[in-house]
Amino acid sequence: MNTKRFGFAGVIAAAALAVSTLVAPSASAATEIVVWADESRGPNLTKVIAAKGDWVPGYTIKIVTFSSFDALKEAFDKATDASGPDVVVAANDWVPSGAKSGKLAPIVLTAAVKARFNQTQFLDLTYKGKLYGVPVDINNVAMIYNTKLVSSAPTSFGEMVNYYKANKASKGLKAGLCIAGGGMSWGAHSVFSALGANAYQFNSRNKIVYGRTFSAVTFGKNVRTYLLDGKKSNGFFPATDTGCKDNFLAGTVPFAVIGNWEWKDYVAKGFTMNLMPVPGVVAGTYGHMFGSVSGALLTTFAEKHGVEAGAKSLLTNFFASTDGQVRYQALELRPPAEKGAQADASVSAGQRGFGSAASLAGIPQIGAFLNSNKGGANYWDSAPAYWTAVLIDGKNAVSEASKLAAIWRANVEAGKGDL
Amino acid sequence: MMYFLRGKVAFTLKIIVISLISAILLMLTQSAFAQREYVIAAFLGLTVLVLALTYLTKISIPLKFFIPGILLLTAFVIGPILYTVTMSGFNYKTGNIISKEEAILQIKARGIEADPSGISFDIKLGRFDGTEAILVSDIANLKYFISTTSSRVAIDPREVTLNEYGVAISAPNFKALTDSELANADKSYSKRHFIYEGEYFIALEGFEAGVVSRQVLEYVPSTDQFKNLVNGKLYSDNGRGNYSLPSDATAILEPGWRAPIWFENYSKIFTDPRVREPLVRVFIWTIVFATATVLTTFALGLLLALALNKPIRGRRIYRSILVLPYAMPSVMSILIWGGMFNTEFGAINALFGTDIAWFSDPNFARLAVILVNLWLGFPYFYLISSGSLQAIPSELLEAAAIDGANSRQIFRKITLPLLLQILSPLLIASFAFNFNNFNLIFLLTGGGPRNELDGEIAGATDILISYTYKIAFGSSTQDLGLASAISLIIFILVASISLYGLRKSKVLESFS
Amino acid sequence: MKKWLMQDSWRHLIGISISLFALFPLYLVVISSFASSGSLQLTSFVPKEISFKNYQLLFNNPAIPYLTWAKNSLVIAGSVAVLSVIIGSASAFAFSRLAFKGRKTGIQLLLLVQMFPAILAISAVYVIMERVYKFAPEIGLGTQPGLLLVYLGGAMGVNIWLLKGFVDSIPAELDEAAKIDGASAVQTFWLIFVPLAAPVLAVVALLSFIGTFNEFILARLFLVDMENRTIAVGLQQFIGGQYSQNWGPFAAGSILASIPIVIIFLSLQKYIVSGLTAGSVKG
Repeated sequence: MNTKRFGFAGVIAAAALAVSTLVAPSASAATEIVVWADESRGPNLTKVIAAKGDWVPGYTIKIVTFSSFDALKEAFDKATDASGPDVVVAANDWVPSGAKSGKLAPIVLTAAVKARFNQTQFLDLTYKGKLYGVPVDINNVAMIYNTKLVSSAPTSFGEMVNYYKANKASKGLKAGLCIAGGGMSWGAHSVFSALGANAYQFNSRNKIVYGRTFSAVTFGKNVRTYLLDGKKSNGFFPATDTGCKDNFLAGTVPFAVIGNWEWKDYVAKGFTMNLMPVPGVVAGTYGHMFGSVSGALLTTFAEKHGVEAGAKSLLTNFFASTDGQVRYQALELRPPAEKGAQADASVSAGQRGFGSAASLAGIPQIGAFLNSNKGGANYWDSAPAYWTAVLIDGKNAVSEASKLAAIWRANVEAGKGDL
Repeated sequence: MMYFLRGKVAFTLKIIVISLISAILLMLTQSAFAQREYVIAAFLGLTVLVLALTYLTKISIPLKFFIPGILLLTAFVIGPILYTVTMSGFNYKTGNIISKEEAILQIKARGIEADPSGISFDIKLGRFDGTEAILVSDIANLKYFISTTSSRVAIDPREVTLNEYGVAISAPNFKALTDSELANADKSYSKRHFIYEGEYFIALEGFEAGVVSRQVLEYVPSTDQFKNLVNGKLYSDNGRGNYSLPSDATAILEPGWRAPIWFENYSKIFTDPRVREPLVRVFIWTIVFATATVLTTFALGLLLALALNKPIRGRRIYRSILVLPYAMPSVMSILIWGGMFNTEFGAINALFGTDIAWFSDPNFARLAVILVNLWLGFPYFYLISSGSLQAIPSELLEAAAIDGANSRQIFRKITLPLLLQILSPLLIASFAFNFNNFNLIFLLTGGGPRNELDGEIAGATDILISYTYKIAFGSSTQDLGLASAISLIIFILVASISLYGLRKSKVLESFS
Repeated sequence: MKKWLMQDSWRHLIGISISLFALFPLYLVVISSFASSGSLQLTSFVPKEISFKNYQLLFNNPAIPYLTWAKNSLVIAGSVAVLSVIIGSASAFAFSRLAFKGRKTGIQLLLLVQMFPAILAISAVYVIMERVYKFAPEIGLGTQPGLLLVYLGGAMGVNIWLLKGFVDSIPAELDEAAKIDGASAVQTFWLIFVPLAAPVLAVVALLSFIGTFNEFILARLFLVDMENRTIAVGLQQFIGGQYSQNWGPFAAGSILASIPIVIIFLSLQKYIVSGLTAGSVKG
């Protein structure tokens, strides 16, 4: 009986084996370049590629859209060459860790391609002297003010605080200035800077100065004067960004810092407002805001998939080209990084407004400094911690500022080598 | 029916089903083997064997019941757990993710340096006398040449055809690749060094451009070192997953690889204050959180169960409303609660007329977490308490009442002890669940708030699992090795707590 | 008479106040879903407007294939529920009714395995499924069958443990009688045990369904294609996105997704309560 059973099963198994050799999957042809993107960029890239797909002759381009930026990051962190993308459209702060871990591959651009961009934009995508992708969007913030509440642009920080104090009760204001876009570290840099704390210092010839940082006393005193009422927050500047957008739209906050990617939401709501940088303590000066780029980054998986040259061509022919950026930004509506696309007639007023705000008060976002945690914490974590410590926990504004200054100084010093 | 399951039909059916499954698995084994996934192929092959042995012989009857469950558990739970345990012995973090072979390949690739003056040319891929070659156009100087991996031939400008950008597209004896050939040529051409001058060669940067470059780092296999060809410095394996200069340990070549460091991740937990101190703090909060959750949810659930233990009017309606938090998808309710605790815009502050920054203040954030978990968890204890209350023999309570005990005494002396005895396994299970309640913390506070100015890594509401997740996947430096070590320690803790509890409640006795 | 009223009124007081606690967030979600502003309308407790914009968005916007997501969730969670209960109850039956060597060790091992903080194993699971994708693209990373397999594996520990509690509470007389009649263990399982335990199995299946329906961490890693996503992933995208906080469609989508679950839950309530306690009362 037993032998009979085995015989029966054996026949079928043998047949299966025979069939399986016939239908064994053949290695797929390496003519597909896979691009990963987040929930906002992915669908728009898909549309652009659907309209014109022959950016690299002989290849098809496949866009994979993730449900959120976090999901994209998680997947990229875990991906290996078995499923990883050839190109990933991502934030500039992915470059240092991706390069360190061997997930991103360097690319060398020809002089002609380089000339299409503002050279400081390459700083964002550079790690230890090598470039890992091409700039695609410019990300920055700008301050908007509700023109129904405030008739003309404030010229100094104090003017905004005075307006808030004078109208708090009568207009039911919930805050004076809040951060709606970019969070309490990236977006709030303009406020740090307006009150005297820059993440790193430039000299008059626009070179980075090492070994020096902002004056904790000046900044701390400014925080006391403008943001505090005794030891407590005076309510002008909330320590978190939650609810800022809603409050601004509801007319209960006159000034807000918003990101250029969300401009279209505000416009869609039919809101009247003007764009400008955050005014500084001294009239006529402005707080510096980060201008960073998101890039199309080349991965080491491209080489594994045998599409390295194709992926590099996609970066230069599509992502770094005027035609490619114009088509893409017509849908994505962020300021394009490429000069030809910036000059294109299709760029909207909002995209231009952010551009001009950036030229008034923008500084490059240098990941090598900001991502370093040699000082005990990186910029991204230490900045919001300051606001919490001072505005919520009521800690001393000056002594907390000197902790912050020490951290940032150490981080800049440590990041020197990565630049 | 019995006949059907016993008869020839059933036997044939069984054989067909098992053969079919085996056939599919064999097919998968074979293709896994073809793709060089040997571990998976071995697992699949073994599965076929085990299936055949179990279901076609009478080796073990219990195994017939266990096999599907065991196979799934092995593949997707036990396998990954073993992987995690293994990783805890490795230096496995940002910068040290890939294998050593891969790292060597990548260091070699990054060891190619572009010529400092940035010379680049427009190129055309093709074949020159049958060998792989590029037709190079120096547009600025109107010079053209063909370069292969062994030679470089200048071409008379009169002999080339130019396109509208002035790039040469054809030359004598040069056969350009067609568009469809380009894609297949990618793999080989991308790695070629086309001759330029001296140590410099032309490397492909896409299909249209070539950049003049040279190799700066060279691998020396005999000594397992990297040599800098410009300054002669030698980088050797530092035993921790990087090539570094013996004279300067910080001068490392990137990327590194994951290298075994045995118990260092474990010893770090106890010796490195930057790891240990937050871990201790987080551990204490985890215990407080899990205990508080079990106590509050049980207390509220029991209170409700007692209140509604009598057929009062509207009991069905109450019951339907009260189970809603349990029936709702928790992902959604946690996110909604997150919105409700918003300082400026949230319903909680609006309701009580307060102005509390819930998620910015450590203690308020902790309170919020426990409150939300109470909402999520009390219906469960309400349901099981009311079920268990009915299971308590009513004679017992009546007897006590006759003996003159009042209702409070009855509750304290009889009902509660009995309930606790009945429910203790579920209370322990609830504790173990909340000990690892990742979703709640992740979605509600993200572990925050934290004060980075004082060097804190962990947030005030971080529990062990969310803190470990942060270490492994969250921050800018991801340390999977350390996270694996911590999770193993969490496992030992939870397992001992639960086993102790279960032993005590004698659930396991029935197995002895 | 008065004493009874007193006693009942405290019962009602507790019932009403905790019911309000239970309903409060749900009420806010309902109002938000009918607000057009897109923000979580939490400051006013009275609805200002009734707009169906959010609901329309779910069904009319081609970029939000809500119905497809719903179908995916139903298919995945449904399959996990059914398959894991079948496979799990077989193991639970064996643990509970069959005598064999290593039974105690087995059940302890099972208990231990499910206590491992599985969240870290995500990396390993990802790598495994990535490799499976290489040779069997139909069941690897990015596919629903692949996710289904991972869920089944993950659900095994809990379900066997839970089911074992239930199985223990079912009297053994019947299947012992069948054994005397000469039925094999496999026959006893299918013909006697499964029909007998059907209500309990349904409860575990339901709990398993809800658990799977809620899962989004694995799902968002595994199901990347828009058409493949589940509701949990799709909805999280509205408010979890880097740049957006669209509470309106999130609220509307959540409500629609919850309704069927709540209905099933309420209608099976009796079984669920007895099912939940069965595991414990046995002691």
